[in-house]
Amino acid sequence: MRRALRQRAERRQLMTAEPYVLGELRRLRARVPQLTGALAASVDGLVLAQDTGEVEPEGVAALTAAALGVAVRLSDATGRGGFRELLVRGEHGYVATYAAGGAAVLTLLAEPRVNVGRLHLEGRRSGARIAELVDGALERPDLTP
Amino acid sequence: MANAETALKEATTVIDGALGAALVDYTSGMALGAIGGGKDLDLTVAAAGNTDVVRAKVRTMEMLGLQDDIEDILITLGTQYHLIRLLKGRGANGLFLYLALDKNRANLAMARHQLKKIESELEV
Repeated sequence: MRRALRQRAERRQLMTAEPYVLGELRRLRARVPQLTGALAASVDGLVLAQDTGEVEPEGVAALTAAALGVAVRLSDATGRGGFRELLVRGEHGYVATYAAGGAAVLTLLAEPRVNVGRLHLEGRRSGARIAELVDGALERPDLTP
Repeated sequence: MANAETALKEATTVIDGALGAALVDYTSGMALGAIGGGKDLDLTVAAAGNTDVVRAKVRTMEMLGLQDDIEDILITLGTQYHLIRLLKGRGANGLFLYLALDKNRANLAMARHQLKKIESELEV
């Protein structure tokens, strides 16, 4: 019960960063026009901010959390250290997930013709910025109602 | 015939004023190999950025209806030359060599000639 309450409080704190994170996602989509969607989620699968167009964000956030669980274990089990990023290439484009601090991840959807080199550069940079925003929100519990 | 690593090593040692070189896949924007560079010239950033340059030129030529290929692209900065040379030949489609040169030390005509030779001998 106490754990559930703490999680709920944490979630509320995370959500205070939402407008700033959404701003970051919008700027990222402007910088990389081949992006078809961008979403920031907590590592346990809750949407923090999203700009995904037609794709349903809750589903993507939940699947990201599931893929992240496997990726973290795979990286750890093979001695590659903490999770940094995950890239999936489908027939019709890419799905990339980047670490954004310890509490959040950034998932990007891109067209097949995207410049993957640039996707990585911008994704990593944006992940670091979102990490600052999210960690900042977690450190300011007094701001939550 | 040289592999990617040998070709890049040759480009940065044989060509006067070379600062760094990379072999880039412009379908993905990722480097297949890179040598030199350092903190003043991040070759990963250069690979991704110059992929956009090459793609823009390819698209422009399509729009102009030019039935031709790009041989190379020269970008002249205040203190550097950047040379982009697209690979020709079998199995090498969608790749380019990128070479950054110090303007004061480089001989542009010679560098272009040498890069052409390195490219022709490169087997990916």
